Amino acid sequence: MATVSARNPADRLTEEQVLLRDTVRQLATERIAPRAAEIDRTATFPEDIRQLLAEQDILGLPFPVEHGGVGGDLLTVCIAIEEIARACATSSLILIVQELGSLPLLLAGTPAQQTRFFPRLASGTALAAFGLTEPEAGSDAGALRTRAVRDGDTYVLDGTKRFITNGSVAGLITVFAVTDPDGPKHRRLSCFAVEVPTEGFRVERLEHKLGIRGSPTAELAFEGVRVPAANLIGAEGDGFSIAMATLDRSRPGVAAQAIGIAQGALDTAVAYARNRRQFGQRIGDFQMVAAMLADMDSQVEAARQLLYTACLEIEAGGPEVARWSAMCKLIAGDTAMRVTTDAVQVLGGYGYIDEFPVERMMRDAKITQIYEGTQQVQRLVVARALLGRPGS
Amino acid sequence: MHIVVMTKPVPDPAAAAERLDADQRLDRAASPAVVNGNDEYALEAALKLIEAFGGEITLLTMAPAAGAETMRKALAMGATRGLLISEPALAGSDVPTTAIVLATALGGLTYDLVLAGVDTSDGGGGVVPAAIAARLRLPYLGNAAKIEPDPPNGRVTVRRITPIGYDVLEAPMPALIVCTQALGEPRYPSLKGIMAARSKELVTRTLESLGADVAGAGGAHTTTRVLGTRRPPSRGATTVVRGSAEEGATAIVELLAARRII
Amino acid sequence: MATIWVVAELDADGSLARISAEAATLGRSLAQAGGLDLAGIVVAADPVAAAEDLAAFVPRVVAVNEPATRGAAWASIAAERAAALIGPDPENVVLIGAGPDGRDVAGALSAMTGLGLLVNATGVSWTDGGPMVEMSVFGGKLITTSSFTAKGGIITIRPNSVAVEPAGARGSIVAAAPQEPLTLPRVAVVEQVAEAGAAAPIEEARIIVSGGRGVGSAAGFDLVASLASRLGGVVGATRAAVDAGWIPYAQQIGQTGKIVKPQLYLALGVSGAIQHKVGMQTAETIIAINRDPDAPIAEFADLLVVGDLFDVVPVLLTALDARAG
Repeated sequence: MATVSARNPADRLTEEQVLLRDTVRQLATERIAPRAAEIDRTATFPEDIRQLLAEQDILGLPFPVEHGGVGGDLLTVCIAIEEIARACATSSLILIVQELGSLPLLLAGTPAQQTRFFPRLASGTALAAFGLTEPEAGSDAGALRTRAVRDGDTYVLDGTKRFITNGSVAGLITVFAVTDPDGPKHRRLSCFAVEVPTEGFRVERLEHKLGIRGSPTAELAFEGVRVPAANLIGAEGDGFSIAMATLDRSRPGVAAQAIGIAQGALDTAVAYARNRRQFGQRIGDFQMVAAMLADMDSQVEAARQLLYTACLEIEAGGPEVARWSAMCKLIAGDTAMRVTTDAVQVLGGYGYIDEFPVERMMRDAKITQIYEGTQQVQRLVVARALLGRPGS
Repeated sequence: MHIVVMTKPVPDPAAAAERLDADQRLDRAASPAVVNGNDEYALEAALKLIEAFGGEITLLTMAPAAGAETMRKALAMGATRGLLISEPALAGSDVPTTAIVLATALGGLTYDLVLAGVDTSDGGGGVVPAAIAARLRLPYLGNAAKIEPDPPNGRVTVRRITPIGYDVLEAPMPALIVCTQALGEPRYPSLKGIMAARSKELVTRTLESLGADVAGAGGAHTTTRVLGTRRPPSRGATTVVRGSAEEGATAIVELLAARRII
Repeated sequence: MATIWVVAELDADGSLARISAEAATLGRSLAQAGGLDLAGIVVAADPVAAAEDLAAFVPRVVAVNEPATRGAAWASIAAERAAALIGPDPENVVLIGAGPDGRDVAGALSAMTGLGLLVNATGVSWTDGGPMVEMSVFGGKLITTSSFTAKGGIITIRPNSVAVEPAGARGSIVAAAPQEPLTLPRVAVVEQVAEAGAAAPIEEARIIVSGGRGVGSAAGFDLVASLASRLGGVVGATRAAVDAGWIPYAQQIGQTGKIVKPQLYLALGVSGAIQHKVGMQTAETIIAINRDPDAPIAEFADLLVVGDLFDVVPVLLTALDARAG
């Protein structure tokens, strides 16, 4: 068993959050960790883990109690994500995307829409996905091309979405499409709840990836897909602001994933440094190794404390939400990359082969520097909070 | 059906951080606590029983005030309410005092069954449930691998593990049953259970409010006294033999012969 | 005058359980040291055989003829009859085995006599006018030494803590047939089932050959069993092997299973996780066969043979045969 650092409620968690963290940790250690290597090797979506997360109400965490959810706040959701990611990054992505894909409805959905969609999402019967990115529109969400044209009581969607996590296993995709091509950048888009499968919807292909290999990343084609007007989330033209508000709230989830991956790698490195003997002593007793471990632990804890604060700030609202969201993802993602790389180094040759999980964790860590806004975009957001928009 | 499950917080065996106080007794406040592993089997058995027959589960714990924390987990797993008997004077209680206090607390509760774990990972005596059953004149069914209540007839059948197999025991309810791992793995608390646990009733009571007749319980009037504590002598270094199966087998035979085992 | 009492347990065939012979041997050394009387109690529907066995160890045996034990759970009946014989003297010392039946008797006896209880003794000596009891606690991580404030009390004894040794002279047997009504509720035994493959009580075994996850299957335990039988021992198992359904729970050793203290513990494909270690680390000799030289058991075994148990054990069986032949 991996070493479990006995962290006390010094981190200001509520009694429920501590109990929830310990429970998810145990679940992840006993039920998810043993599957992680196989999920990575076979690059197959872990349907069993999805069911496990559903049975334990973990997928219900982000949803209100009145719709069958658990009513967890952002910090609580992030604690669960971290504990799952510590065992298996792919598995943590199921919860991350369940929240991400549902956030447009959580933030801007009508009570009627929430009543229609949340029960099956909260129970985990249906998975959600977030349909923003396109082949030609990654960081530049303003460059979206997918069109939605009103036709009586429906909208007709045409276009292609790319890099859509869980796009091939989701039952509900929140899709962003252009409704006013000539409008100002921030008013061109609208957001739709698209129930799939439906006529004209196709999964074009799945990507072969460096990490998070069990999580299907899909290219999705929409050809004349009819969506009821009742599935429009917010008003026409609200899409861009819904997307931005969604990402402000979802990036802490990626930060939590990054911290979980880093902690998992640190646990492995510490256990190895305790047991592995070279030149007649534990390798952890060599100062160069000990110093690496100390740096790794300090960096992970710093990232975690920033995440916790960011969650509380974001939950409280206010003008700094984008900054906190960007900062915690930025620091956590870079920490995960550095710590997992160092963990491989601590294990030496054993770190480079799949006998130990750290090489997988290093590959998984990379995506946290890329998705839901690259690290470069996060820096841009933080810089803008400091300096204002260019030219202002 | 009303079931009382007796649970005890114990130092987390995985943490290996047990600390002793000046009297050489376990400093329970300083050691990270978890619900005793064998008690979780009892709770799981109780949860399955109320799923099948309906009813409620009351947790009964005698522990320092911090015992409430570990009881929350048991509440999150699905117990209905908790009763914590807590009082500084009970620190270091011996078996008779523990049995008197818990038996008195049970006297104030309504139940068809009392379930307990087979022993605890700290003291490990496994004798308190039998003492309680004797005090309360409850039928006592130990080492249970299967529990089948028959509420209409007020009886319960238990499969008791024996060295050669099992005995089928039958007794009227209310009865006290000691539960083993064979009853099934304890469930994880569901997240909804965790969120609901805070709103569940968790009452802490002192000896006085309980009316327990254990004046001077604990340290002062205990029947036993710890004289000293030490670490067991460490074993000698491990001899490691790598090589062919023949070399390995030879090393084993030689050691068995040297120690006169063969 | 205070007395040291040994409450006997019986094997299925009505003879004296070995743990009770150990308790009686211990009782004799305490009685000599403390200058106390020593007596044994056998409670059974047919106590004669066990009482004869026990008389080899103690000067006086009370053979309580108790027909109620036929078809009813034994422990609470035995405790009640024993309590009546032992009486309220707080200086009496009672010795009972620390197995499932012994624990049940000890708990009930404590409630009925008010005597204190020290459990899982691994050694008892006579000091300052009373027994001084060594116990292994927290799964063997600590040894505590305790005594009774009232000099007397009940002690449960871990199997294999005492080398059995009969007394020079046989004791007398006093038959008793108490008529007082039993007050503890009786629990009916409606059926007794012997399961195929079930072994001798593992807590009492002097040699245990145990299998873990590395044994790989129920069929793999055939090899474990052949080695156990060749060495005159019994088969034990880790929780992983029990959970996998390869062997009954009664054979499980560890945190949630049995605590054992054999002379030899031979671990096949057992990693030695802490939960298992706490059940067997007080064994006198620990030998492990494991493919993983870094398995935790490497830290507390006397001998670790690095290799596949399915390669090593057949060779070991041959070597043992050769030695015997």
